[in-house]
Amino acid sequence: MAIRVDYLARETGNNLIRTPSLTIATVLTVAVSLALLGAALVMMKGVDGLNARFKGDVEFIIWVDKEASEQNVQGIRAALDSSPNVRDSIYINRDETFREFQDFWADSPEVLAAVTPEQLPTSFRVSPSVADLSLVEALGREFDTLPGVLKVDYAGEYIKKLDSFTRTASTVMIVTAIVSAVSSALLMYNTIRTALYARRREVEVMRLVGAANWFIRIPFMLEGMIQGLLGAGLSTLAVYGLNRVITQTIESSDFQLFDPFALEPSQLTPIALILLAVGAGIGFLSSGIAVTRYLDT
Amino acid sequence: MIKLENVVKEYPGHTVALRDANADIDKGEFVFLVGPSGSGKSTFLRLVNKQEEPDEGRIFVAGKDIGKLSSWKVPMLRRNIGNIFQDYKLLPTRTVAENVSFALEVIGRPRHVIKTQVPAICELVGLGDKTGKYPHQLSGGEQQRVSIARAFVNRPLILLADEPTGNLDPQTAIGIMRLLDRINKTGTTVLMATHDRGIVDTMRRRVIELADGNIVRDQARGVYE
Repeated sequence: MAIRVDYLARETGNNLIRTPSLTIATVLTVAVSLALLGAALVMMKGVDGLNARFKGDVEFIIWVDKEASEQNVQGIRAALDSSPNVRDSIYINRDETFREFQDFWADSPEVLAAVTPEQLPTSFRVSPSVADLSLVEALGREFDTLPGVLKVDYAGEYIKKLDSFTRTASTVMIVTAIVSAVSSALLMYNTIRTALYARRREVEVMRLVGAANWFIRIPFMLEGMIQGLLGAGLSTLAVYGLNRVITQTIESSDFQLFDPFALEPSQLTPIALILLAVGAGIGFLSSGIAVTRYLDT
Repeated sequence: MIKLENVVKEYPGHTVALRDANADIDKGEFVFLVGPSGSGKSTFLRLVNKQEEPDEGRIFVAGKDIGKLSSWKVPMLRRNIGNIFQDYKLLPTRTVAENVSFALEVIGRPRHVIKTQVPAICELVGLGDKTGKYPHQLSGGEQQRVSIARAFVNRPLILLADEPTGNLDPQTAIGIMRLLDRINKTGTTVLMATHDRGIVDTMRRRVIELADGNIVRDQARGVYE
């Protein structure tokens, strides 16, 4: 049987404009839930980028006590040089530390004025030959107890914290996205049911004269799919907008650590495709279930 | 053409609609189903086009056991069965011609077929000059003619009529019966549930009488009671 394209277009269009308030509500709910999903995906991509950047570059810093003697410093250096797990280490002396400090606080002259080089601790930047964070921590502890050591800081620890924060945040967003996706699916289901109810006469006549089930179904399922796609389209715009804001914020700040969170437009394409697919899927499935349940009774 | 074998149909709450019903209707017959309200006439009709499933027994249409029909083939069965109702079931937002062509459109008939068949059938039912009117602009009898045109435009083997004259005055009803008679003469089997004593007694066709779900009479050239 030939598919009458004009028939499908007319019926689907009529369904969409028959109850504009319901259509708009459905589209917006889909858009909100998919925007949440999109934001979570953007964040997760950022975390992935962050992890990729710091993988194999997990270093730690041994802060030397201000009161430490030259002998203590030599002892630490010797211990580092003799450790098989240390690939490289650099001693940052007082002058270099003060230069870094000046760079960092360049905008705050009152802080700079209050500090002299003598008040700053010197440090060793250590690059371990092991990449695993827990092994690095074990290594760091070996140096913690040496005389003259103030404390050991792990760069990885901050990444780990940031990582776990963003993961928690994106989990929360995904859960919220799922909850609102369910609510948009239910809303869609009811929208399609309303459309079926508004056209119950037509549907009854179609069944009586022997229209194929798929023929009755398709306009309603197309209606659901178009609503899902419209919502997904809006959410995609929101994701591109969000990424623009993030990118601009990161570019105007000095924290290079957050660079991976600014995604290239090309990196957003797969996310946009996922959103469009999920939107179309929600529309297709919930309208399909609505029509099936209507026709089966 | 239509055959019921030991058909039982019960609705929830133990309302028995049909009890061990047997009937055999040949191709081209005109059969009246009579009996009081709730005696099972409508159920009989709804079983034939598979709007209802029997609890027991078998139903054959055109030699096929329709109980064994897979659900995607049910539309094919219904394309061979026209339906008309007491309340016409016309689509109020469509004109006469659109109501009739709707029945062809939704079963995928090509446009050129629709273009020739719809005016022809409207002419046949006597509405050739009213194809552009909407149902609310027509009288009851005219609306029933539209519904007959819609039911017959696909040339079905069987026409099921559920009280088609129930809302019409006697004069108009006679016109409708003449039309159904003409359709029957083209070889279409007509099965009509009715309360209209005058029509049954005048036409003298086969009568199947139902009472409380039982077939209590099956009489060739019968009368209402």
